[in-house]
Amino acid sequence: MKLLKKLTSNWLNKRIPAAQKHKLNHKNIFIFPSKFGGLFLALCVLLFLLGTNYQNNLMLLLCYFLLALFLVNLLASYINFARIELHQGKSAQVFVGDNLHLPLWLNSDVDNKHMPDGELYFKFKLDKQNKSQIKTAMTKVDVNVYTNPISLNYPCTNRGALSLPRITLSSYFPLGLFRCWTHLAFNNQIIVYPEPIPCKIHLSSHPHSVEDSSVQAGTELTGHDDFSHLKAYQAGEPLHHVAWKQVAKGRGMVSKQFSSVENQIGWLKLATNQSNENLELDISKLTFQVIELSREQQKFGLDLGNTCIAPDVGHAHTQACLTALALFPQSKA
Amino acid sequence: MKQVSQALTKNSSLILITIELILVSFSLFESVLTWILLIVACAAVIRGAIHFNFHKHLPSIRTLNLLAILSALGLIYSGMSLGLLIGMVNLLVLACALKLMQVRTQKDIYQLIISLFFLIGCGFIFNQSIVYSLFYCAMCLLLLLSLACHHAPNIRLKSQFKRVFTLSLQAAPIGILLFLVLPQLPPLWQTPKSKSMETGLAEQITPGDIASLSQSSELAFRATFIGTVPVSSERYWRAIVMEDFDGKTWKIHPYRKQLRNQQLRANQEFQPKLTGTYWDYQVIAEPTHQNWLFGLDLATPNGNASQVEIFQSNEFQLISHQKLVSQYQYKVRSYPQALSTQPFSQLDQQLNLSVPKNGNPLTRQWINELRTQYADNQEFIQAVLAHFTTNSFIYTLKPALMYSDPIDKFLFENQAGFCSHYASALAFSLRLGGIPARIVTGYQGGELATDAQTSYISVYQYDAHAWVEIWQPNSGWLRIDPTALVSPDRINLGLREAMAEEGSFLSDSPFALARMIDVAWLNNIRLLLADMDYNWSRWILGFNKQHQQELFKSILGKLTPDRMSLLGLGITTIITLLLTLFFIPHWLENRLDKTQRYYQQAIKLLNNKQLGRKNWQGPIELANQVNQRYSVEIAEPFATLTKLYVRLVYQSSNITTQGQLNDKQCHKMMRKALAQLKAELARLN
Repeated sequence: MKLLKKLTSNWLNKRIPAAQKHKLNHKNIFIFPSKFGGLFLALCVLLFLLGTNYQNNLMLLLCYFLLALFLVNLLASYINFARIELHQGKSAQVFVGDNLHLPLWLNSDVDNKHMPDGELYFKFKLDKQNKSQIKTAMTKVDVNVYTNPISLNYPCTNRGALSLPRITLSSYFPLGLFRCWTHLAFNNQIIVYPEPIPCKIHLSSHPHSVEDSSVQAGTELTGHDDFSHLKAYQAGEPLHHVAWKQVAKGRGMVSKQFSSVENQIGWLKLATNQSNENLELDISKLTFQVIELSREQQKFGLDLGNTCIAPDVGHAHTQACLTALALFPQSKA
Repeated sequence: MKQVSQALTKNSSLILITIELILVSFSLFESVLTWILLIVACAAVIRGAIHFNFHKHLPSIRTLNLLAILSALGLIYSGMSLGLLIGMVNLLVLACALKLMQVRTQKDIYQLIISLFFLIGCGFIFNQSIVYSLFYCAMCLLLLLSLACHHAPNIRLKSQFKRVFTLSLQAAPIGILLFLVLPQLPPLWQTPKSKSMETGLAEQITPGDIASLSQSSELAFRATFIGTVPVSSERYWRAIVMEDFDGKTWKIHPYRKQLRNQQLRANQEFQPKLTGTYWDYQVIAEPTHQNWLFGLDLATPNGNASQVEIFQSNEFQLISHQKLVSQYQYKVRSYPQALSTQPFSQLDQQLNLSVPKNGNPLTRQWINELRTQYADNQEFIQAVLAHFTTNSFIYTLKPALMYSDPIDKFLFENQAGFCSHYASALAFSLRLGGIPARIVTGYQGGELATDAQTSYISVYQYDAHAWVEIWQPNSGWLRIDPTALVSPDRINLGLREAMAEEGSFLSDSPFALARMIDVAWLNNIRLLLADMDYNWSRWILGFNKQHQQELFKSILGKLTPDRMSLLGLGITTIITLLLTLFFIPHWLENRLDKTQRYYQQAIKLLNNKQLGRKNWQGPIELANQVNQRYSVEIAEPFATLTKLYVRLVYQSSNITTQGQLNDKQCHKMMRKALAQLKAELARLN
C-alpha cells in the first residue's frame, strides 16, 4: 500500500512537476465518469432492456441518444476544464496556528471568451496520516461569479518550510456525468514562522556574553544623545529637532537626526542546552520579540547558537530573523 | 447540510425539474391514477412556493414519511387491478413526487433526474405518435437543461439552453448511428402486460349490448401493398374467429384455445393449402396488447422473420407469439381463392353446428318452417338471406338494447342494428338449419393512399366489422356478409358514407378530423398527417431486424463475417471522426494565430543565438538590438518580420485601403522572411 502510494506520488511528480503556473491540458487532466455518470449508464442499460423487451424503438433511440450524450459530454467537460490556467500569487507571512491564505489567480490574463464555466472544487490532496491532523475544507468556486485571486486556506501546524500538499482541482461541468480533475503542485518557498508568544523583551548587550545583562524594554531606544545626520523636516517631528541654524542660513527646514548609543544595540539570544519543550517556547517568545522590536524599528541582532544575524533594522532583516527562527535548528543554507 | 439545502432552493434547476415532472406525469394521465397526479400537483406547489419565497420551509421528514406510507398503502390498494406495468409507472410517478417534496441534497436531485429519464422512457410504451415523440424530446432537453443549471447555477438560462442544445445536436447523429447498427434483439423475457391496456377488437361480442367500437377514429393498422391493391369490397381483414354461442354472446371456443396451446407446445401449426393468385403486403399493426393479427383471407405469414413470429391457427387466424406492446410489422401473403379449398374436420363440424338448447324460440320456429320448405342447402340459405332483403332492415350504430332473446327481437321486432347483429343472427339461423357457420370479426375497408411507388391502406377502429363464414361440402368455406345485403354502402364506401344520414359517425368526438372530410383543406391536412404518421410508423417505429439486415446488405452487398467486422470498424471510425469534429473548435482556440506563431518562431531561433530579450523590450526595440548585434543578413529578414508583425497586430484593420497588402499576403511574406532567417542562422553554424 505504502509502495503504491509512493509510486503514484513519484509518477505524479514526473507527470505534473511543481510550477509557478499551470495551464491545464491533456498532460495533467484526469477524467473519469462520476458516480452520477455511473448511475446514468445504469439508466441506459435499463432503458435498453425495457426497450428490447417491449420492442420499442423510441425507447431504444432514447437509450442510444443518452449514451451518445455521455460520449459527447466527455469531450465537453474536457474542453471546459482545459481552459483553466492557474498561477500562484504571493502569500502573506504566516505563523503557526494561523491559516495560510494561498492566493491562486485563475485565467488572469485570458480574455472572457475563453473562460471556463461551472463550479470548480479546490481541495488539498492529503495523505491518510495528514488527514487526521489537518482539517481543510473544500473550496467551491463558481467560475461565472468569482473574483481573482481565489484564496485557499491551509492550517499551519508546524514551523519551518511548509511542504504544501498538491491541490486537487475538480469540476463536474457541464452535466455532471464526468469528473475532470488534476493534482497541481506549486513551487513555493513558504516559511511558517513560529507562533509568537507575548513576553518581556530581553536584549543582551553583547552577542557572546555569558551573563544575562539585559536592557529594559520600553526605554527610549531612538536616542537623543548622538547627532548623526540631517534630514528634510517632516510635519509632526518635534520642533526642537529642527536645525534652526540651517533655517537661518536659508537651507530650508531641516531636522537633526540622532542615533542611539552603540551599547544599546541589543541581541536576542536563544538559551542553549534546553529541553525540547522549553526550546519551542523560547523560540516562540523570541519570535514575539523580533516582531515587537521590528515594529519599533529598533536595531537588534539575533543569536541562535549556530546562526548569528548581525544587528540591523528593516523588513528584510525581520524576515531573515523570523526565517532563522522558523528553520532552527538547521542553519539556513 | 443546511447550507446545501439553502443553496439548492435558490437553484433554478429544481423549478425546471418540477415543470418537467408535471408535464411528464400529466402526459401519462391515462395510466396514472388521479390521486397520484394530485400528489404531483402538491409537490409542484410546495416547490413553487419555496422558489418564489412564499414559504420558507420544506415539509419535515416525518410528515413526508407518513405521506409516503399512506400513499404506498393507497397504491397497493388501488394498484391490485392495474397490473405490474402500470403499477410500476404509478409507483415511479409517486416516488418522484415525494422526492421532489424533500429534495435536500445533490444526491436527491440526481435520483430525481434519473427517475424522470426513466419515466420518459416509459412514456414511449404508452404513446408513440409523432406529436408525443416530439413532446418527449422536448422533455429530454428540459431535463438536460435542469441538469446543466444544477452544475453551473450562475449562467444565464439562454446560454445554458444553447449549450444543452449544442450537446444534444452533437449527440443525436451518434445516437442514430448506434440505433441503426447495434443489433436489434428479440425480447429477452416476458414483460408484464396489463389487461386494461388492451385496445381494438374484443375477444367476444354480445350483439344486444352497446355499440362502442365503431366510434373511435384511432388507427388500427396500415397495410402497404407491393403489387395490386384489392378493391374495397374485397378488403375483409380477418382477425378473430368466434365459434361458441350461448344465445347472447359469441366467443372464441374454449376448445380451440386448448388445442392451440397443445399445438404451441408440440411446435406444430396449421398448414393451409395455397392455391390461386395472391397479394403480397406488409402490415404495421398499432399496439393492441393482444396477440391477434390482421390479414385478408386467406393469409399466411411471408418471409422468415414473420414465419417465426406468427402462429397460424386452424381457423386461419394469424396470432403473434408476443403481445403487440408496440408497433409491429409483419409480411403477409394472401390467397383470396384459397378459403374454399381448406380441409374441414370433424371438430370443425361439431363446433360450428352447436347451438344453445333454449332461447330465441321465434327464430327456431321460423327456421324449422323454412327447412321443411327448402330441403336443399343452397335454397335454404337464399331463403334465410331473403329475410334480410325483403324486410325493411336498417343499418344503424344506435340500435335499441336487446337483452332477452336478442336474435328474436332483432329479426322480427326491431330489425335495426349493425354488423354484429346481422352476423350473429345469420350464423345462428344457419346453424339451426344444420349448416356449419361461424362469426369472424376484423376490419372491413380502409382508406387507400397511393403515391408514386407504394400504396397503403389505413384501417381505423371505426372500420371494425363482423361477418359470417359458412361451410358447404361442394364449395368449402364461404364468406357471407349480411351487412352488405342491408347496407351495401357500408361495404363499398365505408362507414362514413353509410352513416351520412343518421349522423352517428364518430358522434362522440365531434372535432375528429375524420368527420371533417367535406372541408377540403381540413381533409388535406388530415391526409397529410396520416401520410406523415405512416412514414413515421414504417421507418422509425417499425425499424426491425429485417430492415437492419436489408440496410447492411445495401451497404455491404453480402453479409459475410469479414464484411460485418469491417462495418463495425467503419462505424467506430465514423463516431471517432464525429467526436474529433466536435473537438476542432477547441483545438483552434488553443492554437496561436499565424502572426503570433511566425514571430515567436523567429524569436526562438534568435534565442538559440543568445539574443536574450528583456521583458521591457517591445518588438521595434528588439529589432534595433538585433540590427546592432548581428550581421545584415540576419538583421534584415528579422526587421521585415517585425515590421509585418507590428502592422498586423497593432494597426487596426479598418484603415487598410486597396493599395495595401491583405493579411494573407503579409503572412506569406512573414513566412518567406522566416525561412530566410532560418537559412542564414543555419549558415552561421
